[in-house]
Amino acid sequence: MKIVFDHIMPEPLASIAHSAESIWGNHIEFNPGEKILLNASSGKGKSTFTMTSFGLRRDYTGTVTYDGRDIKTFTPDEWALIRQEKISVVFQDLQLFPSLTVAENLEIKNELSKVYSERELREMLDLLGIGDKWDQKCGLLSMGQQQRLAIIRALSQPFELLIMDEPFSHLDEENSQKCLTLIHKRCDEQNAGFVLTTLGDSHNTHFDKELKL
Amino acid sequence: MLSKLLFRNQDKKQLVIAIVGAFMGITFLVTSIHYLIKVNEFGEGADILGPNTIIVQKKVSSSSTLRLTKTDFSEREIQTIKQEKFIADVQPVISNNFDVSFETADPMVPRFRSDVFIQTLDPEFLDVKSSKWHWEEGDEFVPIILPRDFLVMLNTFMSAQGIPQVSDELAMDIKFKFTLSNETGKEWVDARIIGFTNEVASILVPESFMTYGNDKYAKGKDQLITQVMISGKESEFGLVEELLTKRGLESKNSQMVVGRLKSMVGTLFLVVLGISIIAVFVSGLVLIQYMQLLMSRNAYEVRTLLRIGYHPKTIIRQFFVYFVKVFGIVSALALLIFFLFKYFLDKMFASGGLYIDTGLSYQSIGALIVAYGIFTYSSYSSAKKGIFKEY
Repeated sequence: MKIVFDHIMPEPLASIAHSAESIWGNHIEFNPGEKILLNASSGKGKSTFTMTSFGLRRDYTGTVTYDGRDIKTFTPDEWALIRQEKISVVFQDLQLFPSLTVAENLEIKNELSKVYSERELREMLDLLGIGDKWDQKCGLLSMGQQQRLAIIRALSQPFELLIMDEPFSHLDEENSQKCLTLIHKRCDEQNAGFVLTTLGDSHNTHFDKELKL
Repeated sequence: MLSKLLFRNQDKKQLVIAIVGAFMGITFLVTSIHYLIKVNEFGEGADILGPNTIIVQKKVSSSSTLRLTKTDFSEREIQTIKQEKFIADVQPVISNNFDVSFETADPMVPRFRSDVFIQTLDPEFLDVKSSKWHWEEGDEFVPIILPRDFLVMLNTFMSAQGIPQVSDELAMDIKFKFTLSNETGKEWVDARIIGFTNEVASILVPESFMTYGNDKYAKGKDQLITQVMISGKESEFGLVEELLTKRGLESKNSQMVVGRLKSMVGTLFLVVLGISIIAVFVSGLVLIQYMQLLMSRNAYEVRTLLRIGYHPKTIIRQFFVYFVKVFGIVSALALLIFFLFKYFLDKMFASGGLYIDTGLSYQSIGALIVAYGIFTYSSYSSAKKGIFKEY
């Protein structure tokens, strides 16, 4: 899926000066399978980018298109399908269900497309060092553990693009690398791309393109 | 999993209050509609006269005996009564103005003959098919409605003659004949019973037959209208009764008692019905308000579910189905209690001498279906609105 940001300017950011290479106000294309690092300092609109490209914010000028179609014209049916099969997101605020267990948080997502078996989900948790938290309430996990859970949840669906909004902000380098290895593996399996927003850290990972805000 | 997420940590107090309110409201709604209909139907079919209909005449007093006051109705008086809001219709009862006698004309029964008084009523007041209630010159027989007292008298006569008494059905097969006469002529017309009445003391004949007799054998004087038929509107018999007292009119006591009873019980059930509708409406609102509260408490969960790919319809269905199930269970329980109520109330009415039809009134079940339908629609639109607010 090709995503195009055509002269997008979010209303809250309209009064701020943006650099010539910024996504905001320019024509930017996200090609299928591209792995992109989106680098920006605080307050430049990283979360706004995530929300806008995922159709959760409509307060902008310009046009965002998926495969040539303005995303403002999508119906609820189409958005449900896109969010189930085309684009997956790791939100900055994670958007987990604190009252549910780790297992339930994963199951509620996995129920939609049934990508993984329970064994595979447990393996991924083990890989990221939180395998023992299966039956624990999500709200009782540390922020770092919750971030790893949110990453696994985002990977538990088919996707063409994975958008990650500062997904490693509470993780040490070792755990960030473990997560990145898993993310690359899953993207490569599906020929999918990703957009990884960071506060300047490239996380020593491979990417095709770096964009700025 | 979705149910666990969306319906956890509910404040059940408000839900219980709404459920109890809905349960009581629906129970009384179904019960009151059922008995309102049954009470209004009470007495229908038992007599050939239509429901809520009475025959009235002016009270005979000493002054009327001395001919100081009139006992007949003028056209103006009839029109005045007709104009009352609670009166559905008023029609004069037309009597014979010629000599008429009635006798058996069947070889199977002994001869019985008596001078009689015949009357005719507007067919609108009669619970009889118009095709049967018709006569024209040359017809094989004239259809008649016989006072039940007359049949009792006939049976007493049969018994005295050592002949078995006849039932209503058998009496309808016996051939009778009228003798119409005046000073100059005489004519015989065959007659057949098509129904019985407890409320009218005279033999009822079709209007065409009465006109024929009055035209051909009248004694010359104008016929006076001494009785009128009054049909009151549903549940307003109290007003009819008040009018009778005000105008110095009287009716057969049994008709008055039934009318008064129907009017009082009908009004009582109408009040209960009104309260029930309000209770169902309010409890439905409380349930829907509870649903909105639940959605608002779960705003984060709903928003997140939509973001991770759940279709709005899936989430709407969760709330909608939950509340429709709650209302469905409440309705089923209310229906069950209604049947228990009905069982005991029917027994209570019967022990009091009121044999109300014990069949189920479909209108009461219809009212339940309507209430359920309105709640279903309201809860769906409310759930839809709440979910799309988070979309």
